[in-house]
This record gives sequence, C-alpha cells and structure tokens, in this order.
Amino acid sequence: MAAKPSTTTTAKATYSPIDPTRKTRPPIFSGSDVDWLRPDSRGFHQCRPAFFRTGAVNSASGSAYAEFGNTKVIVSVFGPRESKKAMMYSNIGRLNCNVSYTTFATPVRGQGSDHKDFSSMLHKALEGAIILETFPKTTVDVFALVLESGGSDLPVVISCASVALADAGIMMYDLVASVSVSCLGKNLLIDPVLEEESYQDGSLMIACMPSRYEVTQLTVTGEWSTPHFNEAMQFCLDASAKLGKIMRSCLKEAASDEQE
Amino acid sequence: MGSTDVIASVKAELGRPSAMQPDKGKVAIFVDCSPTAEPTFEGRGGEELSAELSSALQHCLLGGKSGAGAGIDLSSLVVVEGKVCWDLYIDGLVISSDGNLLDALGAAIKAALSNTGIPSVHVAAEAASDEQPEVDISDEEFLQFDTSGVPVITTLTKVGKHYIVDATLEEESQMSSAVSISINRQGHICGMIKRGGVGLDPSVILDMISVANFVSRQLMDKLDSEIAAADADEDES
Repeated sequence: MAAKPSTTTTAKATYSPIDPTRKTRPPIFSGSDVDWLRPDSRGFHQCRPAFFRTGAVNSASGSAYAEFGNTKVIVSVFGPRESKKAMMYSNIGRLNCNVSYTTFATPVRGQGSDHKDFSSMLHKALEGAIILETFPKTTVDVFALVLESGGSDLPVVISCASVALADAGIMMYDLVASVSVSCLGKNLLIDPVLEEESYQDGSLMIACMPSRYEVTQLTVTGEWSTPHFNEAMQFCLDASAKLGKIMRSCLKEAASDEQE
Repeated sequence: MGSTDVIASVKAELGRPSAMQPDKGKVAIFVDCSPTAEPTFEGRGGEELSAELSSALQHCLLGGKSGAGAGIDLSSLVVVEGKVCWDLYIDGLVISSDGNLLDALGAAIKAALSNTGIPSVHVAAEAASDEQPEVDISDEEFLQFDTSGVPVITTLTKVGKHYIVDATLEEESQMSSAVSISINRQGHICGMIKRGGVGLDPSVILDMISVANFVSRQLMDKLDSEIAAADADEDES
C-alpha cells in the first residue's frame, strides 16, 4: 500500500476545481466499518494537488503561497534582521515564528484562536532544519497567515514556510515537508479535509526532512496501536518525500524564471 | 518525582455541551508554572512553558476532535444530553522543577482524576425543550470518576546517541530532542509530541515507542498501587 499523492504544478495558476456537490454523509457512528466517501472524491491514500508559488510578497526577504485544495496559506520571511536590543547576545541565530488565522479563514468567523499552539509547533519543525550558526546575533522572522482553512492546516503551513525560507536564501540542511494522516475507524486517510478532521478518531502529523530521512516534528492524537502507528508513519514519510520533490521543482522553476 | 513537585486539581462546573458534541462533557487543562520553581517563571516568563505543557497535555489526554480515543471518558460527564454537562477544569501547578515536568503532571492528573467525585445531579421533570432544565446538585452522593482508561505520559530524552527516561534538569539542558508518549493500559498510543529541534530518525522513534511501552507499564502499576494506598489511608482517617 504505497501512498500515491497526485500533484499538479503548472506554471500558470490553475488547479483542479473541487466538485461542489456534496455526497450524502453516511452515519459515522454506526459500527466500526465505516465507508467514508471523501468529499472531493480522492482515494484514501491520495493527497490533494499541491500548488506552491514563491515571491508572493514583494517586500519580504522571501515568501511563498501554498494552496492544497481549500487550504490556502501565505508565508513571508524577514531576515536575518538585527535582534532586539533587549535580547541577550547569542552566537547562533534566532528563529521567531508566528502563525495567525484571518477572521474569514474558518467556516465560523473568528474560530482560528483554537490553534494558538501552531506557532510553537512551526518553530520546532523548522528549528531542526535551519543552520542557525550562519546568522549569529540576528533573528529570522517567519510569519504565516492562513487565508482559508480547509483541513490539514499545520502541515501546509510548515511546507510553505520551508519554501519561503528557501526563497529568502536562508541556509537549511534540507526542506521540511509535512503531511498529516487521519484515522477514521480502521481507515487511514491521508491529507484530511476539515470535515474529515472533525470526525477523526486520531491524527498523526509528521514534518520531516526527506533527503536526510529525519523527523523534525511529530504530533499524535487519539488512540493508536503500535502496528497501526507504524503503518501511518510509513505513509506520511513516503508522502512527504514526494511532497519534497514537488517543493524542489517549484523552487527550481522560480529560479529559472528569474534567470531568463 | 525526584525533586520535581507538581500539584494537580480538578474542579467541575455545570455547563452547556458544545453544539458539535451534545453527548459529551468538556475538559479544559491548564498548567501554571509558579516562580517558586524557577525565578525566570515570574510574570510572563513562564507563560511559554505553561502554554507548551498545557497543549501537550491536551493532546495526550483528550484525543481527536471527535472525542474518540480520548483518555478521559467524556460521555460519562453528560447530565442532560444537549443541554447540561459537567465541565472539568484540570489545573496543574509546578512548584519545583527538576526536569521531566510533563510526566509528573500526567501522573498527578491521573491521581487527581481518580480522587474526583462528581456529585450526582437530579434533573427536574420535563422543562420546555429550549430552556435550561432545573437541576438539583446533591451534596451527599458522589460518582467516582473512572480512570482506568487514563493514559500515562513518558518522556524520552535524546542526549547524544542515547535516550534516557525521566531526565533531570541537568540532563534536559543537554538534550538534543525529546519525545513524550502517552500510553494507556492496553498499550495503545494515545498521544505523542516531539519537543526540541533536532531531527530524529524514524527507526529511533519506533524504538522509543517500545521502550516507552515498557516503562509506562511499570509506572502505571506503581501509580495505581500508590493511589489505592492513598485512598485506603483516606478512608481510615
């Protein structure tokens, strides 16, 4: 059962529109054998098409815009900038992350405050990848703004942030690709949508550096038996390797566009 | 645990269940780091750590958004479905910090929950469907909270090439990364958080899970026997 994330990155901004007609929801709470039809008719092991574009914000050192289905995120990176005078001297650089939701991002206005811990999670995910020794005494600021929350927000934010950091020219060991998997009954769904997330029995989010095969951030909620967990982890790692390739190709395109 | 001292308390209040889960109660977990533990915790200093610990505990003990897989059985908290439920506020206070705060808090919360008695509530007969029904809280009868499903948190700290369990403050200062795993009695993982920046090889993580399984079993047995002993003491006095 290999994960097969389907992807499209075209130079011109188009993405496959999602079928707006909603399939009728089967009763979730009846028995453990749930036959869940995904609203956008993907297979259980299919990721949403990923779209990345760098250079979204002109005034920032680096920026990126990512769109995974309905989840739209914009990240801008400022720095390395002088650390505030109040902070102590440090001979390695500092990373400052902030994730915020627009008020119109969620179906119910202003619900983004549920996700206050995303900033620290983003920090931990990126910390292991950035070579902090290259910018001592300075701070790199990463600001993420979720424009629309369509499920699986944090993984998209992390992936977009690493593309933005690459765009800004910050030295990193590797790009950080991140994928999350939801568990509904016995089924594993990769890259859940908001609706699937609200019904999930458990979730696993992994942020990893594909070429180094190292996990920088890992979050598990819900009850998992060990073999089930192994399976889910293998899925995520495989999917993030493929996502890493897409991120790389997007960056190469952007670089080659500039050269022309 | 060693020199780490934490206090956990559980308070219950009547409230309305959320619209999305009318048959489940609500639990909120907050952690406060007192300056008696570290002078840097005074004022806003300890806020970051508190927030991190609170969210880690919520991840580990509360399970997915649909409420399934939660360590704490939320459906036992409902009084009148859709209208009245118990809100549990779990507060943790760190008094002395010598490393491994998360494990200590997890154990304290488990013990506090096992000591919790929810007063039984009598609901007055048929109120109109959108009014709050009259409830009469009895001071006498208590329902013991069921904690056999509550998981125990084990933190494995990676220092250099080895990983250790139950790190003291000194050991934590040298850590490259740490993984906190919460495992329940059946050996299933209820939650897992990775703290610290350095990347970890996935095989290392799998190894850590099996170690955590082993250690948490011992910890759970010890905890249960301690709680039973404490309860027996209380009944006598």
